[in-house]
Amino acid sequence: MNNMEISLTRFSLIYVLLLLVLFIMKKCRIDQTKLVFIASMKMTLQLVIAGFLIQYIFKVDNPLFTIIYLGAMITFTIHRILSKNKELNKKFKFMIAVSVSFSGFFVIGYFIGVVIGQNIFNPQFVIPIAGMLLGNTMTAVILGLKSFKESLIGQQNRINALLCAGVSAKNILLPFVKQALETATLPTLNSMLGMGIVFLPGMMTGQILSGTIPITAILYQVAIMIGICTAIFLSCFGALYFGYQTLFDKQLQIIELNQTKKE
Amino acid sequence: MYLFASSSDLQFKNCIKYPEIYIPENSFTFLTGKSGCGKSTYLKMLNRTVLPQNGSILYWGKDLKEYPILPYRREVLLVPQDVFLLDGTIRENFDLYYSSRGDSVLSNKEICHFLQICCSEFSPEDTCMKMSGGERQRVFQAIFLSLADKVLLLDEPTAALDEKTSDMFIQNIRQYCKQKKITVLCVSHSTKLAESYADTVIRLEEPNHE
Repeated sequence: MNNMEISLTRFSLIYVLLLLVLFIMKKCRIDQTKLVFIASMKMTLQLVIAGFLIQYIFKVDNPLFTIIYLGAMITFTIHRILSKNKELNKKFKFMIAVSVSFSGFFVIGYFIGVVIGQNIFNPQFVIPIAGMLLGNTMTAVILGLKSFKESLIGQQNRINALLCAGVSAKNILLPFVKQALETATLPTLNSMLGMGIVFLPGMMTGQILSGTIPITAILYQVAIMIGICTAIFLSCFGALYFGYQTLFDKQLQIIELNQTKKE
Repeated sequence: MYLFASSSDLQFKNCIKYPEIYIPENSFTFLTGKSGCGKSTYLKMLNRTVLPQNGSILYWGKDLKEYPILPYRREVLLVPQDVFLLDGTIRENFDLYYSSRGDSVLSNKEICHFLQICCSEFSPEDTCMKMSGGERQRVFQAIFLSLADKVLLLDEPTAALDEKTSDMFIQNIRQYCKQKKITVLCVSHSTKLAESYADTVIRLEEPNHE
């Protein structure tokens, strides 16, 4: 990795580009200067902390640390998803947490243990791969739930009319579940379709820069994309499919986003 | 025995209280009263898409709770006030309800028959997107009329219709339902319609706020 080293003085020159952005924004009174500043500072700080932490974990090389780091990543992913979906009932939230954890652990384990054939506690593999999988999972689940909730709230008349006509809650909600799953998986599928034609994805770029031969980098990239696709689909499917069933009661067949005690 | 009987302690969410109400079989009953007195809520409770907080409603002498819910809702069908139609054709709209219920879809002839009863001069292939509010309401009612089994609960079915069409519409519905032995309970603001077509009129008083 020696050819990749970068001195701090040279590194700090990258911020000059940011000054250019800030300058133009200031001149043209575009109201995002504060955000650009905060976002870049926050990113730098967070990544520096993460870097030191990961370096420390690599040094001690103790499976326990890897597990704790992985646990923290999953907890954070779930926390972010739930904080955007406060109005959902407890059971629905539980289903989301279980689906995200299960699909996360499953794909990480399969990817590292079976496909790469490494020790599944090796932090050098677990941490970056889990990061990519969980980051994408978080975005996809948030998107899927947003679409599902929008259908529920925006299609009140449809839900009510079908309910009055004696249609089961299941048959009313399943089309919304399907649509939300499509919305959640489409961005990943689209990026797979365009991959390699215009842009080279981040992981592959990183590996090539650090000296890996392109063919190996490509194999990793294909593997991670399929891993991401599986992880997001499983977590969205689990969250929505088991989640929608918490919105109604088999006996009463009344649909409520936030189910409260009845009768 | 009455078809429906609701107890005098029937109450919805602490705010709407109802008197004892009886509805006989094969009748064409109007439910009138001021806005906010709980007419629509009463229909929803009969169709069991809304649950009472207190009191009970009997259907053929048995509490609604005791009937399996989905067959019950199909037997005691509520046509909601808020119209929902897909932007597609009338046929697609009919099919949505039939396929969601797991029933086989109607033929074009049957669809035309129900559209005619509801004073709607369209063919099944016409699209709903460009229809006016009144036209949409009639197509919507036609779908539900075709689904009607033993009881039909209508919530302001003529809200978007002019006087003449309202008259025709109610007259046709009444005739069809009498013939098919369907009991109808209709919520309406129009005292004129109630006077002309109702077997019985139930007037709900001002809600008893506590």
